[in-house]
Order: sequence, then structure tokens, then C-alpha cells
Amino acid sequence: MLAKTKDLNLDIPKAKGFWSNVFKRFAKNKLALLSLSIIVILTLMCIFVPMLSSISYDKTNWSEILQTPNAKHLFGTDNLGRDLFVRAFIGGRITFAIAFAAALVVLLIGIFYGAIAGYVGGKVDTIMMRIVDILYGIPFLFFCILLITLFGNSVALSFVAIAAISWLDMARIVRGQTLGIKHKEYVEAALVSGVSNLKIITRHVIPNLLGVVIVYAALTVPNMIVLSAVLSFFGLGVTEPMTSWGLLIADGAQNMESWWLLLFPAGLMTITLLSFAFVANGLRDALDPR
Amino acid sequence: MLKFILKRILVSIPTMLAIITLVFFLVHMTPGNPFDGERALSPEALAALMHQYRLDLPLWQQYLMYLDDLIHGSFGISMKYLGQPINQLLFPDNMGGFWVTLQLSVYTMMVAVPLGILVGCYAGLHKNSIFDKIVVASNIFFTAVPTMVTGPLAVLLFAVTLQIFPAGGWGDGDFMHVFMPVAILTLAYTPTIAFVTRGSIIDVLNSNYIRTARAKGLPTRKILFKHAIRPTLLPVVSVLGPMFAGILVGAVVTEQIFTLPGLGILTTNAATNRDYNMIMAITIFGSSLTIIFNIIVDICYMLLDPKIKQ
Repeated sequence: MLAKTKDLNLDIPKAKGFWSNVFKRFAKNKLALLSLSIIVILTLMCIFVPMLSSISYDKTNWSEILQTPNAKHLFGTDNLGRDLFVRAFIGGRITFAIAFAAALVVLLIGIFYGAIAGYVGGKVDTIMMRIVDILYGIPFLFFCILLITLFGNSVALSFVAIAAISWLDMARIVRGQTLGIKHKEYVEAALVSGVSNLKIITRHVIPNLLGVVIVYAALTVPNMIVLSAVLSFFGLGVTEPMTSWGLLIADGAQNMESWWLLLFPAGLMTITLLSFAFVANGLRDALDPR
Repeated sequence: MLKFILKRILVSIPTMLAIITLVFFLVHMTPGNPFDGERALSPEALAALMHQYRLDLPLWQQYLMYLDDLIHGSFGISMKYLGQPINQLLFPDNMGGFWVTLQLSVYTMMVAVPLGILVGCYAGLHKNSIFDKIVVASNIFFTAVPTMVTGPLAVLLFAVTLQIFPAGGWGDGDFMHVFMPVAILTLAYTPTIAFVTRGSIIDVLNSNYIRTARAKGLPTRKILFKHAIRPTLLPVVSVLGPMFAGILVGAVVTEQIFTLPGLGILTTNAATNRDYNMIMAITIFGSSLTIIFNIIVDICYMLLDPKIKQ
């Protein structure tokens, strides 16, 4: 039947899906689109620059110490004669990797925690949100440093520590949204027809949270970038000779006479963070047109 | 009023206790002990150290004694600077430790809050003007780009290149040394306050009772100061609570940038030296400050909003 209508080639207006509308609105936002392409380009450069460059990120070269940016070393060299261009992008790779991984964990924990608290409600909700309130009382940076001190300083652990304390906002937002969705007719209908609670959460509640989650994800990644960079500033997380943007900025801040050591990593990070902010803004406008 | 405050304080005690318990057991249940990293200690010396830090006692006894210490206002002894009470490191008699962080945070609030409110009101009253657009844009910029990026860049520009301000250090807390860190922190937090104020005043000015006041023919100045100012400030006050915690942590990062002798340096040292007691103390102390400040904000909130008073 449907196929036949299609064959007839009638001029029926195609039902436009929610997501295609969202996509269209987002595509109209030039600033967000530009930002998104910057993020994509930077990500690709972080992957390929260290891979394709003839200079290794940890290759020290005593005859080329602290060179200003030039044709051979686009971003100059540091006080061990290492090429800053390659280091900036391998640092970006680590920074992005930690940020995306942490954001993913944050989203997963936050969504499930929030959805369960909001959906089950009652005492469970009260207790679960009370736990969130308590964790909120702890200044995140100190708690993060505490975790890293306890469990040892490694990249993997610093990311776990970051993720462990950053899911609170997500859980709160998701809970609020879930409370709203819970009383919608289709959820009640599913409940009446005997669908299990877990299935309702995974099939109805979580998919309907997608809009909020996407916007929040776009905000979480830059937050994770900042947090991991701050930790690097305290000498935690990534250690030499590997590097990250935070570490490079900390290094640059210690060698101010060589301005390029600070300016390039700081510039890259600023561009990235602003791009994420504009993408998040664009997504919010696209998903929630007022 | 008094009842409200008392109730608010009582409610926060379990929260504080939960945080202390969480931090304590997290630290003490972790395998290994803080002296692992030291150069090989003789068994006797290790036993003596364990005894000094009560690590030889059963965990619940340690916990109760820690609580007892806290109630008496003591954070115990540092594990790195052997025998040094943490209180003396956190709150030294001369300038340093928390006092530097506190000064930094208070100066920042003193500048950022009035400035943010003024700028926000002006932007909201002149919606879509160039000034307004600058406020909105700077909010996007400074919420996205943290002090750990803007700080070093400012040092590079003003201290190293232009040589107007010293690149770091606290001096004796004089204007020249304090200016840059406070300016960086202020720059980071003022746009948020301004942005919230702006949104709030736009909402308030569109509300019915303001329209009524206008229709009655009241002069604009009177409408603003008599009717609009209180409800405008409500959302602003509610962001100040989380913001104080943010400034405290932000101040720690700023100290790191400007090499100030505050909580930041204590935190870094504690982390690199695995000084468990110190980190515990800083975390718990930071939490209690956050909670206390939230109570203060709630009280301010109540003073501003008569609806909550009853």
C-alpha cells in the first residue's frame, strides 16, 4: 500500500521528522557550523599531525633549543629543543581523548542515575538526590586531587576521577526532565499494557531525553577539557614526556620569555573551548526553537 | 527568621558529616599507606610513625578520634612536615595559607558582585544596544575560557611584555601584587553575574506589576528602585552560592598561575607528597566553606523574598 503510493509519485508533502528540522535549524546557524568544522579540523589534526610528522613529539634536539616559530618548527621549539607544533597536537590528542571519554562516562552515569531517580520517585528519589546534594558540597577540584593522590597519578585515573565527580549536574537535569516525561500519556499507556519499568526507562524515557542530553554533552566536553587542564596545572594527570594542553600552558607560563610556548597552546585551547560553546548554543537553539 | 536559620543550619549538619565520613573512609580504605613512598623505613620507625598517626588503631576508633579532632577545630598532623599541625599550615600566624586565598576571593567578590549587577542592569535596561551585546559576548567568552588560559596570557602581556605589574608573588599584599590575580578572577566571574542580572531585570520589567506602576505614571527611577530591584536580585543571589565555591577553587588555580602562597600551593604539595591528612583537611574545609556560604545565601534570599519568610 505504502509502496504503491510511492510509485504513483503523488505530490504528497513528506512528513518532516523532528531531527531533520533540528538539523536544518542548526545548519542555518553559521557560527555554530563554523565552530563545528573547527572542532572537526582540530580533531583530525590531533590525530594525523603527530602521525605524519617526521619529527617525534619527544625528540630532544640540543642544537635547536628555544627557537622562535620558523619554517621548520611552525610553533617554535621548547627548552629541550622539541618541536612545539607536534607537541601541541599530541597534547591535543590526549586532551581530547580524556575529555571525550570522561564526557561519555559522565553522560552514561548521569542519564541512568537521573532517569532512575526521576522515574522511580518516592523514597528512592529522595535518597538518590540527597547523595547528589552531598557530593555537591565538596569542591570538585580538591576532591579530584584527593582521588588522584589516593589512587596514584596516571592518565586513566585522572579521567576516572574527573568523571566520578562531574556527573552530578547531568543527573539533576535528567531527573527533572524525567519527572516531566513520566506523566505523559504514552508512558502511562505503556505501563498499563504491562511493559516493565526497565524497558520503559530505556525505550521511552531515555530516548525522549536526547535533546537535553545532546546540548549538555556539548557543554560537558569543554568542561572536561578545562578540568583535565587544571589538573595538569597542578602536575597531576599526564606526565612528561607525554603532554597535554594543560601541561603545555603550565610550561609556557613558566617560560614567559619564550612567548610562543604559551601563546600557541593557550590559543588552541581558547579556539577549541569557544567552538564548543558556540556549538552548544547552536544545538540548544536548534533543539528548542522559541 | 531565627527558626529558619536554625533549621537551615541543622539540616546541613548531616550533609557535612556525610562528606567527612565519605572522605575519611575513602582515604583510609585505600590499600597501601602514605609512607609507602618514603625511603625504606626500618620496621620500628614505620611502627612509630603508624602509631603517631594512629594508623595502628582499628578503623572505627581512628574515625571517632578524627571526628573528635574536627569538633575541637583540629585537622590533625601533616604527614609530610612531620609533627606540624595542619591548622598551622592552613592558617599560619603570618600571611599565607588560607588567608591569601580568602583575601583573593573576598576582593574578587567585592569587585565582581557590584560591578556585575550594575553592568547587568545597564545592559538589561538598554537591551540590544552595543553595550548589551558586549555583555552577552563577554559572558560567552569568559564562561568558555577559564582563568588558567586568560591568567598566563595576562601575565605575558602586562607583566612580561609591558612590565606594568609584577609577574607573581604576593609581596606584602600590596596593590600592585594583588591587582592582577584579582583582576583575572573578577574578569572570569563578573560576566556571569552581569548576564544573570540582565536576564532577570528584563523579565522583571516585563512583568505586570511594573506595567501597572508605569501606567500609574510613576517616574522610571522610582519604579526601578522601589519595585524592580528586589525581584531582580533574587536569581542573582542564588547564583552567588555556587559561585563562591567556584571562586575559591578558581582562586586556587589563580594562585598557581601567580605563584601566590595560598591554598593552591598547599594542595599541590600535598598531592605530590601524598600528604593524606592535608588533602583531607583541605577537602573538608572547602566543603564546610561551601555549605556555610550556601546558608548565608539562603538567608539573603529569604530577606529579599518576603514570600519565603512565612
